[in-house]
Amino acid sequence: MNAKAQKAKGCGIEPAYYDAVTQAIRSEAVKVLKEGAVSAVIGYLPGRRKSAAVPAVVTTEEEAGRLIFSPACVNNLSLYLTKAKKGILPGGKIGIVAKGCDLRALAGLMGESQIKRDDLFIIGINCAGVQGAVAAGNGQLTEASIAKKCRECTAHTPEGVDFVAGTLPHLDGLTPLEAEELARIEAMPQAERWAYWKEQFSRCIRCMACRQVCPFCYCEQCLCDKNRPQAVESSPRPAGNTAWHIVRAMHLAGRCAGCAECERSCPMDIPLNLLNRRMAQELKELYDYEASMAPQEKGPLNQYKEDDDQSFIK
Amino acid sequence: MPQIITEANLRSLIDSLVKESKLVVGPKEAGSMVLYQPLSNGADLKLGALPRRSSKELFFPICEDILTFGKEDGVTKVKDVDRASFPDAVLIGALPCDAGSPSILDAVFSWDYNDDFYLERRKKSTIVGIACTSCDDACFCTAVGYAPDSPAGSDLFLTPLKDGSYACNAVTEKGEKLVSAHGSLFKEGAAADAAPLAAPDTAKLDLAKIKEWLNTHFEDPLWQSIADVCLGCGACAFICPACHCFDINDEGTPDHGTRRKHWDACGFGKFTNHASGHNPRDIQNKRYRNRIMHKFKYYDDKFGKTLCTGCGRCIRACPVGIDIGDILNKINVQAG
Amino acid sequence: MCQSKNIYLPNLATIEAIVDETPDVRTFRLVFQDENVRENFSFRAGQFAEYSAFGAGESTFCIASAPTRKGYIECCFRSVGRVTEELRRLEVGDTIGVRGPYGNSFPIEDFYGKNLVFVAGGIALPPLRTVIWNCLDLRDKFGDITIVYGARSEADLVYKRELAEWQERSDVRLVKCVDPGGNGPGFDGKVGFVPSVLEEAAPSAENTIALVCGPPIMIKFTLPVLERLGFTDDAIYTTLENRMKCGVGKCGRCNVGNVYVCKDGPVFTAGQVKAMSQEF
Repeated sequence: MNAKAQKAKGCGIEPAYYDAVTQAIRSEAVKVLKEGAVSAVIGYLPGRRKSAAVPAVVTTEEEAGRLIFSPACVNNLSLYLTKAKKGILPGGKIGIVAKGCDLRALAGLMGESQIKRDDLFIIGINCAGVQGAVAAGNGQLTEASIAKKCRECTAHTPEGVDFVAGTLPHLDGLTPLEAEELARIEAMPQAERWAYWKEQFSRCIRCMACRQVCPFCYCEQCLCDKNRPQAVESSPRPAGNTAWHIVRAMHLAGRCAGCAECERSCPMDIPLNLLNRRMAQELKELYDYEASMAPQEKGPLNQYKEDDDQSFIK
Repeated sequence: MPQIITEANLRSLIDSLVKESKLVVGPKEAGSMVLYQPLSNGADLKLGALPRRSSKELFFPICEDILTFGKEDGVTKVKDVDRASFPDAVLIGALPCDAGSPSILDAVFSWDYNDDFYLERRKKSTIVGIACTSCDDACFCTAVGYAPDSPAGSDLFLTPLKDGSYACNAVTEKGEKLVSAHGSLFKEGAAADAAPLAAPDTAKLDLAKIKEWLNTHFEDPLWQSIADVCLGCGACAFICPACHCFDINDEGTPDHGTRRKHWDACGFGKFTNHASGHNPRDIQNKRYRNRIMHKFKYYDDKFGKTLCTGCGRCIRACPVGIDIGDILNKINVQAG
Repeated sequence: MCQSKNIYLPNLATIEAIVDETPDVRTFRLVFQDENVRENFSFRAGQFAEYSAFGAGESTFCIASAPTRKGYIECCFRSVGRVTEELRRLEVGDTIGVRGPYGNSFPIEDFYGKNLVFVAGGIALPPLRTVIWNCLDLRDKFGDITIVYGARSEADLVYKRELAEWQERSDVRLVKCVDPGGNGPGFDGKVGFVPSVLEEAAPSAENTIALVCGPPIMIKFTLPVLERLGFTDDAIYTTLENRMKCGVGKCGRCNVGNVYVCKDGPVFTAGQVKAMSQEF
């Protein structure tokens, strides 16, 4: 597909858009650091590799002036606010750069009392999308390089933030590849679907990147590290792999923000976000719950309501 | 006169080896990626792409049984694994950054105590390496003493030629045997010009200087700055051609079970955790330091080798973009 | 099947006797089931082994009996993890796996003609008990033998019957202690922490080797006391413990800097420990 065709499809986002977002983030981050409104800003810095971006905690105006936003800014930075990364932030209010999907994670973490809104200065991004795999990118967001989650994004515009960076360019609809894939798998007979997932999980090497990168996997003792008694076999074999991925999906049901960082981080390309989305569908149907940018005090699975669906009790 | 093999004959060689009941492993398309996997025929071989995981797993599998145990008539018995029947194997199409890894790992698996699981596979394997013609900006083999045309670790080394065939250089006796046993597929002749090699865009590192710096910088702000970002997953270690840490676990019951050895990673929080709860490497700072120290100092102290071939996989796989090439460059600069 | 040795394959041993040292510390006396192994198994004081509770895995402990006592080995463990809890469920007559002996050992021959001071805390007496009995079995080769041993409370003192035996012997000086508050009425030892009790006991450093084993905090405060008493770094020996899996220098987790505790240790002089990367 040539560049013109991509443009026509609405996914050739002009570099000028990212430059404008970058400038807005820089000036705001420098400003809040200078004013002492925050002690640090969690954002993205350029990496050594061409068009790479790496998460960074910046504490000086000089560093803040180097922050960027580009299609390579894939990470959900809310992870760095959780107790899984405790001790890395200075005390005081923290600034954080957040895309819409990251904002849903922030809201979820607030709902779980892991972070407080008052402790944060949120720089929300009017986000046109980011790349799927970082390695594949050449710095341009194209229909081929855009992340699957971004093709179906419902959170382009940040809500409830302290500052909005950038102006959203015109975005045309893209085919919802992930929804289509989910529908395809849903339509399979059960045995075939099971075979599909068995094949996917067989590739798992148990590097735990999916767990470590998830803002909601902040448990101090993960069930799959427990060995007395052992719930999940630790060796990278079908039994343990399957158990792990099912435990992961279930534990994130009603909590997952849909940032799809688990899937992006998987070195074995296991389509983990399909599981997340399937669980989200379930939560929508059962409890009319959807992850959103507004904190909700209790997730649907953390509370009981008289009118909750009870058909599963037989 | 060098030996030449055409691409068609290279694929025929795979067919022949498969017919001889050899386990032939090489780069193969596997869904969205390329992996070193058993090839069922020559057409399976996928050249020109770096497989997602290294080829170390041919010798050091992700997970392997090391013994089985159980009770027979109430009496506990332990059974060894039959290593004698490990198949003769040919690893074909290994890029220099992968072909080089066993020759690094031989040392640790054979000092004093021989890990016969690794060594038996090693003994029965022939490695056909291939010069590398494409790279990306994560590649840094040339920085750590390897090269796109480095035959280190290969028994037979193939150099792609402009006409699509390969010049063959038998590096070891095993390599010579492979060629002589399939002489009809090779022909002697003048080689065409070599295809252009990959040219990783990295400066050569002074590994001795880096090691000197590590000798005196066990405590350094660098470790904390990396640890701040590092998530403590095992992606970097698992796809690395040189990382070799493993865990041993029992699965099953006392009546019927298996003891397995499987990959582990020094970045995991529980890696060094004592049963008492005490943990010598209790924070990511110490764990990441151990990763770099092990690769560029400890392993060299012990075995005289660097535990890195510059394949760049850890850089590509790191979910937070930690770039070992960048870290080494920084150390190289600091080391003056 | 003709193949070389599987270094991960344990020998089977039968639990011949069980002694409860404290409410959660247990001693196993083990006899190898294979006659050949039983007769030829030899080790040196300070070496360790990997003990299997099949189905749960392996755990690392020192061999706590003395190499001078043949026909059996003993190990001593606290139930704190998956393997040790499973070991604790086993009974006399049950089978466990034993791999080893691994690691280096105390250079006992170098201690001939010297006085010995043993300093141990809590469950760290077993690694020294092997040396103590080794030396007592060769009593005339050594000068004075002093044992300073303490635990949190009387109940936490291990090898109580052997402590009584050492106390009786005229050729051993035993200084037994418990932490303040850990003593019951009628406790016949000292009350205080090991380092201060050691300082009070003040064994002479002259021609003396100190062997120290205990929790990190005890070691930390004991080394300066020994220094004040005149012990040099190369006259102080200790044994390190780290989480291990393979025990044979492969799996990569027991290292302290470039030192593999399983192969280069577990016995080190204080001088060697100080020279290590400080990551314990």
